[in-house]
Amino acid sequence: MRIGMVCPYAWDVPGGVQFHVRDLAEHFIARGHEVSVLAPADQEEGLPAYFTSSGRPVAVRYNGSVARLTFGPVTSARVTRWLEAGRFEVLHLHEPMNPSAALMALWASTDEPVVATFHSSVVKSRALQAAHPLLRPSLEKIRGRIAVSQEARANMRRYLRAESFIIPNGVRVDRFRDARPREGWCGTAEAPTLAFLGRCDEPRKGLGVALRAMRDVLDEHPTARLLVAGPGDASVLLRDADPRVVRSTEVLGVVTEEDKASLLASVDAYLAPHLGGESFGIVLVEAMAAGATVVASDLPAFTDVLDGGRTGVLFETGSADALGHAVLDLLADPERRRTLRALGQDRARVFDWGVVADRVLAVYETVIAGADGEPDQPTPTGLWGRLVRGVPGGGS
Amino acid sequence: MLDVDVLQAVTFVVIVLIALAWYLSYSAARLDRLHAKVEGAMSALDAQLVRRAEAALELANSGALDPGSALLIADAATASLERTTEHPLTEDLLDGQHFGGREGVESDLTAALRAALPDDVVAGLRVRDDELVTDSLDRVAASGLRVRLARNFHNDAVREVRRVRAKRSVLFFRLAGYAALPEPVDFDDELPLALAA
Repeated sequence: MRIGMVCPYAWDVPGGVQFHVRDLAEHFIARGHEVSVLAPADQEEGLPAYFTSSGRPVAVRYNGSVARLTFGPVTSARVTRWLEAGRFEVLHLHEPMNPSAALMALWASTDEPVVATFHSSVVKSRALQAAHPLLRPSLEKIRGRIAVSQEARANMRRYLRAESFIIPNGVRVDRFRDARPREGWCGTAEAPTLAFLGRCDEPRKGLGVALRAMRDVLDEHPTARLLVAGPGDASVLLRDADPRVVRSTEVLGVVTEEDKASLLASVDAYLAPHLGGESFGIVLVEAMAAGATVVASDLPAFTDVLDGGRTGVLFETGSADALGHAVLDLLADPERRRTLRALGQDRARVFDWGVVADRVLAVYETVIAGADGEPDQPTPTGLWGRLVRGVPGGGS
Repeated sequence: MLDVDVLQAVTFVVIVLIALAWYLSYSAARLDRLHAKVEGAMSALDAQLVRRAEAALELANSGALDPGSALLIADAATASLERTTEHPLTEDLLDGQHFGGREGVESDLTAALRAALPDDVVAGLRVRDDELVTDSLDRVAASGLRVRLARNFHNDAVREVRRVRAKRSVLFFRLAGYAALPEPVDFDDELPLALAA
């Protein structure tokens, strides 16, 4: 199958949507499909062969955060050329509501059946409400909508009044399942280890909650350790923390994917004390795949990933007391940890790329069947015909 | 003085008429496209329902199931297939925009599959390592998923048509012509758990 995928965010900047598009594209290529990815990129060297740049990204404020996007006539021309050269059987757009390459591809597409994936849990925006009448005819070209989580789906219902089918994000489960524990990171009965992953200086990732919860943990296990991995400066948070907690915290900084997997495979529990703004929770899946027991805040996205708390421990979001108790209960019960480990590894398989990509492929097949099943439309002729019948943006 | 006024007024009226004509033709074409999309989505749903019933029937006839379960599935699958051949979508007077009351039959097949294929039974069938059985199980799962997708996408397309058709200009100028108002298709399509993952 010839598949065209469009990612709205700069390809050379790490991010959830970019990784998702990359993994999905590479998975399909490995299965023998022809895939071409269009996204903004700063430089063209060193980019994979399946990649086409939609132009240099510009950092702009949109919907409350700074994103690196492309728009304007140059992007528009590149998108059109890419569509013409690709002759795709299906066009898969990611986050088409952002003012970037995916929206422009939607606008410019003509015959290709369009599938759209909505990743963000935040689709609400003033611009969207204001520009809706303008965008609506373009949005009607979408034949299949995918949401990555219950939350993303609920938001699409609320703000776009559209239905969608849930297909979660994928994880390369085998990569995490085969991770080897590292001795220095493994806990013992007397000195258990806990892990935190994510930006240290971003409050909504919740490192502050974890540090406060550590006080309770240290009361019962004075030699417990908290291993913190991820970019950002933790020193501000550590300055205000209890000195005992500071002594027991090890900041690892940015770690490689392999080290991340090893860390998750080593520790007694992985903590996900996020405060909000998470639409999925891919790290939780990675942690389960690596065999870590997960202790996570009860955000809707996390509750989903942990199957309502069956395959991990949920605590009240933002409550350090609740996190402390949850960790202590877990450390006191090795049998429960073993059960959760097994359940978690089983659960992670649902999110394996093999399973997820098969579902995406089923979506492609369904929209292609729908496009083929349509009665023939008269081809627009003459100026009036083109003006009237022409799909907005496309074909003229 | 009077001359100019008449000319201006005529020009203005002509421009307004052209704009109105464009807007109405454009809306009619858009509506046409949306109706075509519903029709396409319905034919995709129809094709997958036929595949699902065929795969279910094959599973029932494979001899791997106990006779009770086999009969239950075969009965529901046959009902679905008969319904399709009696009322093929291509001969539908409503241009494939209606499901023609097939909801009950398809819900019954879904329920039969769920009743006859609980987790342990599916696990047992997979262990047999019989190519025919595994293959028909996989096909029931694959077409079952596609039925769910097709129904979801169809209903979304129906919602779009209905929204445009509720617009005052569309109602007033009868832009929809005699096209039937498409209805969402509602039936139980929840797969047995063991086949859903």
